[in-house]
Amino acid sequence: MQDTREIFWNVGYGSIPVMYLLSLAAVAVMARGFMKLAEAWLRGRPLDRFNRAGERCSRFISETLTQKRVLRVADGGVPHAGLFWGFTTMFAGTLLVMLQADLLTPLFHVNLLSGRFYRLFSLALDLAGMLAMLALGALFVRRFLTRPDGLESRREDWLIHLLLFTILVTGFLIEGSRMAATEVRDNPGLALWSPGGLLVARMITFMGADALRGLHRGLWWFHLLIALAFIIVIPRTKLRHLFTTSGNSFFAPLEDQGKIETIDMEDERRERFGASGISDLTWKDLFDADACTACKRCQDRCPAWATGKQLSPMKVIRQIGGIASGAASDSLVETVTREAIWACTTCGACQEICPADIEHIVKIVEMRRSLTLMDGEFAGDEVRRAAGSIEVNGNPFGMAPASRGAWAEGLPVSVMARDSKVDILYFAGCYASFDPRNRKVAESFVRICAAAGIRVGILGHEERCCGEPARKMGNEYLYQTAARENIAAFRRYGVGHIVTACPHCFTTLGQEYRELGFEVPVEHHSTFIASLVERKRVKLASESFDFTWHDSCYLGRHNGVYQEPRTILTGAGGKLLEMALSGRDSFCCGAGGGRILAEERSGRRINAERVRMAMETGAGTLVSGCPFCLSMFEEGLSAGVQEPAMRALDLAEIVAARLR
Amino acid sequence: MKILVCVKQVPDLEGRFVPNAAGTWFDESGLAFRMNDYDEFAVEEAVGLRERLGGDAEVTALSIGPDRVVETLRKAMAMGCDRGVHVRDGAAAERDPWQVASMIAGYARSRGFELILTGMQSIDRGSAQVGVLVAELLGFACTTTAVGFSCDGSTATVERELEGGAKGVVRLKLPAVVTCQLGLNTPRYPTLPNILKAKKKELLVLAPGDVGLEAPLAAASGFCRHERSASCLVLEGGADDLAGRVVAELREKTAVLRRGGAR
Repeated sequence: MQDTREIFWNVGYGSIPVMYLLSLAAVAVMARGFMKLAEAWLRGRPLDRFNRAGERCSRFISETLTQKRVLRVADGGVPHAGLFWGFTTMFAGTLLVMLQADLLTPLFHVNLLSGRFYRLFSLALDLAGMLAMLALGALFVRRFLTRPDGLESRREDWLIHLLLFTILVTGFLIEGSRMAATEVRDNPGLALWSPGGLLVARMITFMGADALRGLHRGLWWFHLLIALAFIIVIPRTKLRHLFTTSGNSFFAPLEDQGKIETIDMEDERRERFGASGISDLTWKDLFDADACTACKRCQDRCPAWATGKQLSPMKVIRQIGGIASGAASDSLVETVTREAIWACTTCGACQEICPADIEHIVKIVEMRRSLTLMDGEFAGDEVRRAAGSIEVNGNPFGMAPASRGAWAEGLPVSVMARDSKVDILYFAGCYASFDPRNRKVAESFVRICAAAGIRVGILGHEERCCGEPARKMGNEYLYQTAARENIAAFRRYGVGHIVTACPHCFTTLGQEYRELGFEVPVEHHSTFIASLVERKRVKLASESFDFTWHDSCYLGRHNGVYQEPRTILTGAGGKLLEMALSGRDSFCCGAGGGRILAEERSGRRINAERVRMAMETGAGTLVSGCPFCLSMFEEGLSAGVQEPAMRALDLAEIVAARLR
Repeated sequence: MKILVCVKQVPDLEGRFVPNAAGTWFDESGLAFRMNDYDEFAVEEAVGLRERLGGDAEVTALSIGPDRVVETLRKAMAMGCDRGVHVRDGAAAERDPWQVASMIAGYARSRGFELILTGMQSIDRGSAQVGVLVAELLGFACTTTAVGFSCDGSTATVERELEGGAKGVVRLKLPAVVTCQLGLNTPRYPTLPNILKAKKKELLVLAPGDVGLEAPLAAASGFCRHERSASCLVLEGGADDLAGRVVAELREKTAVLRRGGAR
């Protein structure tokens, strides 16, 4: 006997047009739902997210099919991937059946679903169904029984679970009743290839043939209607993420996830800046709200949330979605609240982990822009004063600009105004210029360069704050003013290679100044020193010590530099003891996003939390490559104690101390 | 109602002040400049008053100095002043208060200003004379060190800071000159649309001669740096005895324990 089955067995060919009509209607109702969503998305500003479509397509396919972003977190991620793969396989199987029944059989008289292929097809679909059942069960237990902290369930979650469960159970029952009436009796060898169906069939063989046929027919229609109901509710529930989340793997930015728009100050028609309402955000920002599944992974990793502040990246996205779908006039700022808006450190932990490729940082910065540029508001008076100091003195401390290069007096450094024949321009930044602790880092860097025979130049009094903290706090005008002065100074001396010890300067000079027309290679001192060591331009005396490396947000997550500092430090005799949150999962020191300028008024201190994590490693030294982080750690380590349990150092200090 | 607000661009006090070649004032190179703090209060009060009065009230900001002061005038306009007047005077920093007042009065005379607001003093020269002299030259009513201000269009009511934390209230018939003290208000931070608009606002440039510059009456003849004397004191002893000595030191050398002086 041929291994195949009769499609539409027991249902009757007369039912086919009805089935197709119902399906078409369901798809139309679904499309209407998405069109309503699209209306809300299109209230946002335009933004091109269709460029480089090839790259986007391949990312869409790889991220969706492999479920790799979802799988970043095993809890929830593994069952989700199981459910996805199970349903995707069954969906493909259903399409194949459709193809066979309505195209291959009537037109070509070929039966693809026969023989060996049919046996494998049956097995694959049965296994897929069982995988999906198992996964759904696991997700049910997690969502409704173990209920991890922060996971919010609503009525639609029950509905979705019920729909999926019913679809799977009725699927197996239909298969089982068909097999009990036919295959188990006529072709028991084939029945073994459908283990799930066979199991059900064995349980119901006691029923008579007519009863089985009746059960089968009834369930077939029920299954169809439930499946169509599923299609209809997709745009109306969280199930919309089938399209929006996968869609976001196409629409997500191709560059750094934290990149923010450079405002065109010359555009005279523009009178509104930043986002005070929904229509000030881009369509992608509003689409993001519909791509969010409230998995709360962002919230779990947010340093502000973790220390008891009001900001939850997830809630911000959902609040935006709430306004977009409801009353449009609602003020973003009032809904999200100032406290949440100012609490963000733009560390990017939320975006890094988000399985839906949502961009949180731009939305928060746009809201800050509205507050700062349109209303003259700040995170606090101290930030306002710092902004005033950056404007007048070129640094947030209000120190005299003429003394900016004073740290380098007596060191082998040439001030560009006097001698611009140098190998690299060292952009010291505000902290290394004025903060006594960070001056030591600058001195160490200069000593390393001297040992390598590299001529170092600085702008000295002509250097200004790169503008990063002001920019992240929403003060784009102040940022661009500072940036243009720095760019003019770089151009004055034909600067060709910039090195900086600050990841914030590094990101700003290397990437953000590009938008202002400045394109010169900019390097962070960690990669620069790593290449000096690798090329044996400097030799280090290995001296053993144990350390933990803090991945600064703007070095790691925003720029992908993880390995070089570890290589340098272990090469210098260090034994690396990793923190639980390291690499791309690193936990911010609390100073990003311009927060370095602000007092931390609510919740616990983020730097204390990070210092605690570092101490848990038992390492004697906490090494980083960022002046903000170093300042935060020095403060966190010395808070309330006379003898800190560990030292905080910059990697340049470790290298300089081991120069041979 | 026409309001004039006088703003001065001053060096940031964090800078290093060394005497200039003539030894009569400080050398400006390497210094960062900004709007005099007290003048920011004056600008805020002028702009706030215009907003409260509405109608055809308008605010003119005036500054005397070299070309760099245009930056400060633009800031005043970004804060909301309607137009700027720049008396271009490269020697402004060394003019005595009489000369500065003569130029301001020369400009304001016959232009119909009913209210002139200035800072109570500049943070660099600190004479606290200019506003008062302008009032005298124009025959306006005048009061100084305003920490509270209201105006109904014909009368101004000014709360003044007196010594020891006390306050007095003065009522002036317009036209009047009022000099502004810390505590009067919190100057606004210019919004971006206003910064961009300020770039296009009218800026009138005049020469000192156009506005009646007078000869100096009290020209500065010398400038020397403040030599910091050691101010560190280490007290040793037991807790019982130390507290009393700290109090005695504070009472003798500082104002913090004096009545009304703790501010």
